Amino acid sequence: MASIEVQRQVLPILANPNQGARFYNPELPSSEPFVPGHRTCAGCGPSIQYRMTSKAAGDNTILVGPTGCMYVANSSYLCTPYNVPWAHTQIGSAGSFTAGVAAAYEAMIRKGKWRGHYPNIICEAGDGSASDIGLASISGALYRNHDCLIICYDNEQYANTGIQASSRTPYGGMTTFSPPGPEVPEGKKLFPKDLARMMAAGHPHCYVATASVGYPIDLMNKVRKGLNHRGAAYLMVYTPCQKGFVYETPRSIDLGRVVVECGLYPIWEWNPEKREFDYSFRPQNIRPVSEYLKLQGRFGHLHAEHIATMQKFANEQWKMMGVELPEGLIQAADPKNQVNMAAAAEAEAIAETV
Amino acid sequence: MPTVTATKKKTVRINGCVASAQAAKYADVDVIAAYPIRPYTATMMALAQMVANGELDAEYIVADSEHSQLSIAHGASSSGARVFTGSSGVGVQFAYELYSPISGSRMPVQMMIADRTLDPPGDFGSEHTDALSTRDMGWLMGWACDAQEAFDNHLIAYRIGEDRRVLLPQMVCQDGFFVSHITSDVELPDSSQVREFLPPYKHPYPLDPRHPVSHGPQIMPEQGPPLQLERARAMEGSMAVIEEVHKEFGEIFGRHYDPWLEEYKTDDAEVVFFLQGGHGVTARFAIQHMREKGLKVGMVRLRTIRPYPTDRVCEVLSKFKVVGVIETNMGLGSPSSGGVLYADACAALYEAPERPLVISFMAGMGGEAIVLKEFYWMTEKMIQAQKRGKIEKRTHWVGFEE
Repeated sequence: MASIEVQRQVLPILANPNQGARFYNPELPSSEPFVPGHRTCAGCGPSIQYRMTSKAAGDNTILVGPTGCMYVANSSYLCTPYNVPWAHTQIGSAGSFTAGVAAAYEAMIRKGKWRGHYPNIICEAGDGSASDIGLASISGALYRNHDCLIICYDNEQYANTGIQASSRTPYGGMTTFSPPGPEVPEGKKLFPKDLARMMAAGHPHCYVATASVGYPIDLMNKVRKGLNHRGAAYLMVYTPCQKGFVYETPRSIDLGRVVVECGLYPIWEWNPEKREFDYSFRPQNIRPVSEYLKLQGRFGHLHAEHIATMQKFANEQWKMMGVELPEGLIQAADPKNQVNMAAAAEAEAIAETV
Repeated sequence: MPTVTATKKKTVRINGCVASAQAAKYADVDVIAAYPIRPYTATMMALAQMVANGELDAEYIVADSEHSQLSIAHGASSSGARVFTGSSGVGVQFAYELYSPISGSRMPVQMMIADRTLDPPGDFGSEHTDALSTRDMGWLMGWACDAQEAFDNHLIAYRIGEDRRVLLPQMVCQDGFFVSHITSDVELPDSSQVREFLPPYKHPYPLDPRHPVSHGPQIMPEQGPPLQLERARAMEGSMAVIEEVHKEFGEIFGRHYDPWLEEYKTDDAEVVFFLQGGHGVTARFAIQHMREKGLKVGMVRLRTIRPYPTDRVCEVLSKFKVVGVIETNMGLGSPSSGGVLYADACAALYEAPERPLVISFMAGMGGEAIVLKEFYWMTEKMIQAQKRGKIEKRTHWVGFEE
């Protein structure tokens, strides 16, 4: 059977990836596939990510939106913020619906039913979709290597439904499903699922990376690398949620940097050609986890021992990244060197605001 | 560019599963979403081989679950591809979440179902509960009674579902094993006939970067009912298209189906069986046998259950004295405490000036064949009711009563 060869796009990689959000980069495309006017909260991390991601991808793009904040808060009937085709799908259908779109374009282009360059096909799944209910569907799409990019916009909770714990909620994170109390002083007892590494380890032929809204050019480059990769790519992006994390609205980008500087969100890439992790990304500072925790109400109930436990966790991540631990961080992993985050009464007051 | 190899009309001996696969090939589907579960699996096995042989150019996706199968189908159909998927039994249930979103977004996905009893306890045999439990989700739905009819129904369903006046997904059902795994002669058409009958799929608003659209945004409560009404109207409005397409199918392929009902020996019948699917074939044989004994019995076989042909069912069934509904499905706690077909039949008959007596027979359960003596037994129950002028009880479990 005669068939038409599928032509694919190649997007340029931007310079100076480690710059902050306030750095002006003239190479950024002017197109805005994700426009203002939606109903997300002020300072919404996921929507900042959405804008950067779609900007990096450009106009020949199709977006898939499983149920989550970025479905509910963005789209309203007869008024959506997407200048490119967008479709809602079920929260458990992130990978599978996206695979259907990708397969359709492969077949339609090959069979002469659609003419043009293969579009960027991007799925924007929240961490509830990506780490819990849609995990198998995403694994299926990565395993089968459809030419698409699946993004987990990781706000570490089910935020759309009113802040419930997901498999990505950090240890100690207060949510409405993991509230602190006399019997469970730390709130969330479990550590988060190591989702991105799981995706890299299980689907080594895919481009897999982590990123944060604190490093916009790095994020946009990873979007483009993922789209340029012939086959499936996966990106997990730290996207703070002021409603669930309880922080001052203008600090979203700061939080996106501090979380990396505290070792709680290692930024890395999996290279599918070399079959190895690239841990060379280094933040400008290295800080103890308490500097990240104290910015957020969701950690306001933690005791010294919990903070030390989190520091131990962060120290393991630094070791994984090949960073030699400063003495201060080793000391910080000892509860004796930590203080309680807040008095119980204060913690309760903070909990009221969640 | 024709992507299906030109073929001449020929008769082959194949089973229902392979007939369905052949129909998907003739329809030149672009995306196939597979996941194994007996007995429908044989359809996907046949399609996999066709793709491997280069007989069909399609993306063949082995999904990670039925939920994913239907999501893949939804995504591909939304992008403008013609899509084929399928399942059986609990597999149909696993995908349940997707049925309403697919019909609600008006994507003409096609799903082949070879029925299988739901769990417990892991019965392979055919009961229609799997597909019937989804009957109100906005999918066109009907049963074939043999492999030829299954083949034809797939082409007919694509044509109806993709019609811009309809734009609804379709469940094309056949009994597991009785139809899916029994071979019979099937006439495969000349590819030019299919080209004439089934134009390429073209959705009016696909996900196409050159014409951006948003599919399925959130709505305010007051915006929901108009959309529901549109979907209801599409289902109701499909009835005229269904009649038109069956007529055209007959003209092109020479097989003329009544889109709604098959009537068998009903001219002078006083009691009739009302059923759907493969048991229609055994019923025909049993009726011939009973006719030789002088019993005035016939059969009405429902071919399309969604949209339900209420007026036709009313007109046809009200001619008889007693209607025996053969359920082949479970409707636990239903109005008859039997299956679910009884309630639809009674609702259709409600406005008839003269209503027949209606009895529900739980027969063919678990994929058991309904044997001749059971047809005699059920006929006897109907004749007794006719003589008495009232039914003994609404539901009989055939084989469990004297």
